[in-house]
Amino acid sequence: MKALLNKEFKLCLHPTVFIYLGLVLMLLIPSYPYLVSCFFVCNAIFFIFQTSRENGDAMYTAMLPVSKAQAVRARVRFVVLIQAIDLLLMAGMCAFALVAMDVEKGNAGGTDHSLSLLAFALVLFAIFNLIFLPSYYKTGYKAGSAFLKGAIGVWIWLMLVEGLMIASGAMAGNESVPAFFRFIAENIDRMPIKAQDPAKAWTVQGILFGAALLIYAVCTLLAAKISVKRYERVDVQ
Amino acid sequence: MKILEIKELRKAYPGFLLDNVSFDVEEGSIMGFIGRNGAGKTTTIKSILNLVHADGGTVLFEGQDIWANETACKKRIGLVLGEFNYYKRKKLKAITAVTKAFYEEWDEDRYQKLLRRFSLDPEKKVSELSQGMRVKFALALALSHNAKLLILDEPTSGLDPVSRDELLDIFRDIIQDGEHSILFSTHIISDLEKCADYITYIKGGRILASTDADSFKDAYRLVSGEAEQLEQYRPDMIGYRAHAFGFTGLMRREDAEAAEGLKIAPADMESIMIYTEKEDGHESAAE
Repeated sequence: MKALLNKEFKLCLHPTVFIYLGLVLMLLIPSYPYLVSCFFVCNAIFFIFQTSRENGDAMYTAMLPVSKAQAVRARVRFVVLIQAIDLLLMAGMCAFALVAMDVEKGNAGGTDHSLSLLAFALVLFAIFNLIFLPSYYKTGYKAGSAFLKGAIGVWIWLMLVEGLMIASGAMAGNESVPAFFRFIAENIDRMPIKAQDPAKAWTVQGILFGAALLIYAVCTLLAAKISVKRYERVDVQ
Repeated sequence: MKILEIKELRKAYPGFLLDNVSFDVEEGSIMGFIGRNGAGKTTTIKSILNLVHADGGTVLFEGQDIWANETACKKRIGLVLGEFNYYKRKKLKAITAVTKAFYEEWDEDRYQKLLRRFSLDPEKKVSELSQGMRVKFALALALSHNAKLLILDEPTSGLDPVSRDELLDIFRDIIQDGEHSILFSTHIISDLEKCADYITYIKGGRILASTDADSFKDAYRLVSGEAEQLEQYRPDMIGYRAHAFGFTGLMRREDAEAAEGLKIAPADMESIMIYTEKEDGHESAAE
């Protein structure tokens, strides 16, 4: 596995990965749906698959002393690593926003800098992995259509979440709206230390993040399992 | 001892069937795997190594099920599928650095010697190599991890005659210790004439013959005769070519020996393949 990951880094890593990871700086844009930056990371992952295909990576790897299952698992780990790096960078940006931005007013364009943002990002990656990876490994070469399907899933999630956060933020001050929206605005769509009740916000967002981590782990493991099963049937040409 | 045993290997594609392919490779020998383009040589090789998912059959390497012990078996097999056509924008040294990490028995000295012997510059990119040099690079990688079995698909295609001869020398060196073996597919039959101990002949996805090279050639005779003899011997001929003065063709040895009035000569591998592959068994110079 170590040799396979080494191969991923030395031969498969596309330069755009660094550029797209750098788009985590979008988290410093005032009033912006920050989950969009995660979509660009999905885009970077697509580029890895596409350029690997163009470079004959499937055949090169198949000739090495590894099974198809090991090759798939190594690529999935590589994807997870990139997503984990993005998540860490996002966490860093959320902390940096405290000093670099006016976070008191919150984010009118979507989710605030918060643990919730990281949780929503995790679910976004989970959706992408679950759709894109098995779809790609069904043929071992159709990266474009697999990405399109994955992107549709990502954007549906992104619009639902950011839409809900925008709506909750907008209605927060209105006593007549359902408590559900006020709960979101006060505990989820808020930097915990800036919340009215920081302890409660940390707890709620901690639970949310834990659940998201579980969803990510389950979806990615499932994606890997399906991908391995599908790729076993693929003829490497 | 058999290093590789292929039993009833099946793979169906629309319009093509690899039909119960069975043959063995003996330890310390070179097996030539011949057949025309599209006969199933590459599909067989890819199926052996699970690059192509076989529909049925078994493949044993040193007595082990190769598909159930893929990683361990592939470490002891050197594979070349024609020229090295991967990561064309990467330098050879970068690809080697990645590749050698997969093999505990990587022999750096041998690799460096092969680079020099093949005049390969590790600083060059794959895209800067000619077709023949790409084949040499693939061979250098495959020959540098002390593989017990080399499986080479068209390794001499694209090489100049001097390089081909040099390569055949390397092949002979490799098997000299009696422990290493080579399965070598090609349609450049003259290469096999020089080095193959055994021949497996595949046609239309089916094995026509798998035997030692001398027996393979000895089973056939080249015959020639007058035009008026053609009708008499046409049914006995595997293939023939008619011309203005008569005909030349290929017969099984026993049929040739029983024939009267024909000129008989030993058959070479190329003639055996050419006459066997004639679609309707014959070709007229007038056609």
